[in-house]
Amino acid sequence: MNHSLIETREVSKHYRMGATTVVALDRVSVAVGQGEFVALLGTSGSGKSTLLNLIGGLDHPSEGEVIFDGRSLAPFTKREMARYRRHSVGMIFQNFNLITTMTAAENVELALAFGGLTGRERETRAGELLERVGLGERARHRPSELSGGEQQRVAIARALANRPRVLLADEPTGNLDSTRARELLSLLREMVAGDKLTVLLVTHDRDLAAQFADRTIQMRDGKVETMNAER
Amino acid sequence: MKFPDILRLALRNLREARLRAGLTTLGVIVGVSMIVSMMSFGLGLQRNAVQRFRDLDLFNEITVSGRSLVGLVSSAMGDRSGGEGREGREGRRGRRGQADENDPARKVPERMLTEAALAEIAGLPGVASVEPNIDLTTYVRANKRALLRQVGGALVPNGATRFKTYLAGRMISSPEADEAVVDESFLRSFGFERPQDAVGQTLELLAPGGADEPKAGGGEEAGKKGAGAKDEANAKDEAGRDEDDDELSFFGLPLEEASPEDDPAASALAARTFRIVGVLKTEVEGGAQGGRQFRGMMPVSSIYIPLPAARAWADRYRNSISEVAFRLARASGVLKEGETAGYAMAVVRVTDPDVLPGVQTRLHELGFNSFSIVDQLKELRTVFLILNSALGLLGGISLLVASFGIANTMIMSILERTREIGIMKAIGAEDREIKLIFFVEAGLIGLMGGVAGALAAWAIDAVANRLAYRFILQPRGVSYVDFFALPPYLWLGAILFAVAISILAALYPAARAARIDPVKALRHD
Repeated sequence: MNHSLIETREVSKHYRMGATTVVALDRVSVAVGQGEFVALLGTSGSGKSTLLNLIGGLDHPSEGEVIFDGRSLAPFTKREMARYRRHSVGMIFQNFNLITTMTAAENVELALAFGGLTGRERETRAGELLERVGLGERARHRPSELSGGEQQRVAIARALANRPRVLLADEPTGNLDSTRARELLSLLREMVAGDKLTVLLVTHDRDLAAQFADRTIQMRDGKVETMNAER
Repeated sequence: MKFPDILRLALRNLREARLRAGLTTLGVIVGVSMIVSMMSFGLGLQRNAVQRFRDLDLFNEITVSGRSLVGLVSSAMGDRSGGEGREGREGRRGRRGQADENDPARKVPERMLTEAALAEIAGLPGVASVEPNIDLTTYVRANKRALLRQVGGALVPNGATRFKTYLAGRMISSPEADEAVVDESFLRSFGFERPQDAVGQTLELLAPGGADEPKAGGGEEAGKKGAGAKDEANAKDEAGRDEDDDELSFFGLPLEEASPEDDPAASALAARTFRIVGVLKTEVEGGAQGGRQFRGMMPVSSIYIPLPAARAWADRYRNSISEVAFRLARASGVLKEGETAGYAMAVVRVTDPDVLPGVQTRLHELGFNSFSIVDQLKELRTVFLILNSALGLLGGISLLVASFGIANTMIMSILERTREIGIMKAIGAEDREIKLIFFVEAGLIGLMGGVAGALAAWAIDAVANRLAYRFILQPRGVSYVDFFALPPYLWLGAILFAVAISILAALYPAARAARIDPVKALRHD
């Protein structure tokens, strides 16, 4: 791993809850290379989601720094951070986080709109993305009219809308049965393979991680427990 | 994100919460319609009041007075304090003269109002016309009656409003025409039943006969003239005080009830005949107590003849006091041979009330005295400004209340959309864009409320106006009056104000929305 796309250096995150301080992350240093598919394993509260949010630019570390493509995110302004989220990373979540009042296409187009695309170009691109996740027919449906698997595919289309270099997936299969979960991860793999996208998958399912990830990082109590080698 | 997308998002959000947005907008509608209808009422009052004055030519006329003949004489005789303002050239005193005198800022005019001076004044920018004031107190014979009357000289054509409305006939056709217009009081005094009866009839101005050389008149004439002048002095006040009161106006005069055609004395009178071509509607109400009535800055007469004819008459039949002043002036050399004395006063009509102060300043620079009521116009405007501000404030309070509604709606909306905002941030929305969405939403509420409110105000005005006409004006036989003024700046301003207030109301909610922590928001269900 000569060149890592994402690197965390001694990253810590503390939350103040009343009088006590909760340490969500404790000096975590990980590195993920370009095009790698890495699974972050751990139980609930192990800090894996927190780490993902830091890498995704949704949160700031209390200590340490996140390096993306050789640049530290620490000095970024709010605006630069928004740009980073918009163009460099795409995120999907366990509860899909689609906007329920918008159709599948509108959800994807919203991301494209923040990316600066307009009009026909935007519609075409949204259509293509939904086509790629197999939802060309269902573009005009609202999330409530779609199954969980379908909703997560819309989320993938939206995450990839602005051609990010990293896809951050936070328990994307948590709300899906095992068959749907496998289908979804297959799709994810397939989609990132062509573009040499880096994927960071947060899951608590060892089997899934073993099946789809190039390597896994095991976390516990805010610390990296084991980092197993590439298969 | 481009603005059209923001706009679309904002519209979508409003549609999603239709009822809430609708109710919030209703608050704005009430506020805006209150402001607009109240202020349109105030502005309507103002417009109607100003229009009333304008109709009477009070805001576009300046009285200008020059150095009088007697003033010339007294200054030549070394008496600077005497005489000024005590007399007009016709020996007549008007209220304006007193007003001038009472004003310490006014000095003794340096120049005489000669024809040349009038031409110079007429050439000033903003001056529409200059009408010298000549009015003669003379016996007028018409319809077999002879009465002492004020006869005014009228500029032809004439822009003054007093020559606008006729009961019958028209204005004098040209300055050279031997035509006259009269007013309603003339009809009554001279026994014409209807205005139409007078049109086409003739009236005569009477003067001592054989007065070809008035300045060198014989003893008999001079005596007559002296008596005439004295009577005139007594009678003219009466005539001025109440022109309708015929008995008073010619009491004790030998010509009363005389039948001029049969009277041998009549043959000793010179007369100039004018054909009556128009009867003016007398619109002046509540004229000054005990003084002559004015329309604009001009004293009102019941008979008008063309200015050149009036001037010729005045020069020819000078009364004795004026005659003395004239001869003194000539003798002292103040007035050169061949020079005439000029007018005591003229009315300068301006093109627009706004240019009036400038014209007045120029008149002072040129060495004339002037008087206008433009200051009163300013005062009137101040009064209405205060009234309109008070009305606007009342309306503004309701819009303020509506703005609380907007803020409330926006905050509610944030609570509801926390997750949505988190999602937008996660996929790359900038704080600025989040804020903008909220501002646009609030602005749209303000805009829709503003437009609907302005329309509602327009409807309120229309209904109120009709009700007022139906139940107040009509039963009293008053013609329709539009009580409201709804100028574009009012409703456009109100709409803009509503939008501005709405955006202000969204300041806090928008800032709060932008501060939402995406990590927490995305966990939010």
